[in-house]
Amino acid sequence: MKTDKKIYIVLPAFGEEKIIKSVIEDIKNQGYRNIIVVDDGSKDHTHLKAKETGIIVAQHVINRGKGAATQTGIDAALLLGAEIVVTMDSDGQHNPKEIEKLIEPLINDKVDVVIGSRMLNGKEMPKARKFMNVMANIITYVFFGIYVSDSQSGFRAYTRNALKGVTTHLDRYEFESEMLGHIKKQRIKEVPIKVIYSDHSYNKYKGIKNFSPQGLLNGIAMVVRLIENSLFK
Amino acid sequence: MLIQILVTGAVLLFVIPNLFSSYKKGNLTLLGFLTWSFFWTVGLLVIWIEDLIGVIGHFLGVTRSIDALIYLSIVFLLYSYINQKIKINEINREITQLTRKLALKDLDKVEKREDERK
Repeated sequence: MKTDKKIYIVLPAFGEEKIIKSVIEDIKNQGYRNIIVVDDGSKDHTHLKAKETGIIVAQHVINRGKGAATQTGIDAALLLGAEIVVTMDSDGQHNPKEIEKLIEPLINDKVDVVIGSRMLNGKEMPKARKFMNVMANIITYVFFGIYVSDSQSGFRAYTRNALKGVTTHLDRYEFESEMLGHIKKQRIKEVPIKVIYSDHSYNKYKGIKNFSPQGLLNGIAMVVRLIENSLFK
Repeated sequence: MLIQILVTGAVLLFVIPNLFSSYKKGNLTLLGFLTWSFFWTVGLLVIWIEDLIGVIGHFLGVTRSIDALIYLSIVFLLYSYINQKIKINEINREITQLTRKLALKDLDKVEKREDERK
């Protein structure tokens, strides 16, 4: 998609040395040159592998969570003059070909934020995963007053204006919900996306495809952190 | 009697001097030092004056003295938990801010490089 707007792609990464290069190359092949990887204190060579591709790499000296890394990436993009910021996962789950779908409504000035939703076309999604997503949506609504079909999707696009003055405090996976709370008054659109459940992403998040006690525990931990955050701000 | 002597000895020889040295080093505020000293002093009084907890219980309207002790302990533990939680959250936030600041430190160079490229 041709546009004069300065688009930055933000990839928070942790322990992705095996796949980060191919993810970056795939994004580059779609014509996007401004890519920021935030290495969130990986113990492997994620930042070196990313640097080899010639993109911008910011590095957290210690692991602070996906939320903190995404916020760092967004800040970096805004500092570099981004007009549109796209966030996506660095494990190859998101298809770079779908970036266009996300930024098109922003370029046409129809909306301020576009969320890539796995639920709008969620036929391929396992039922247990769907159930967990719906629960997360309800939790997001309870704590942040906004209901979207896929509150935990990290594949999103924002205009510069939408991100102005937004500072998040939740460092881990609750970040996506908190961000929704900040931008709930903006014009938001959801577009269907397909998630690539590769062997790599499946091995990384064991049990994400199916229901697992670990997944349930993560969900409970997220609720506890949200309650704590609302009590001890 | 032996346990009373042991606990009193430990409090007087280790706990109170430790609190005082923490206060001197600046790790504890004066209010913190006084609060903790008060807590330990009350603890010692409760150990030595067996009727004291009953008097406190009666004052608070609790019939069994052991209930008064449990209620007071719960309130104290809750207070400590909240205090610590607030501090931990603050420290966590500061660590994240520092980490993010360090990560963005080199961005100026990137910015200059981008400007030169234009």
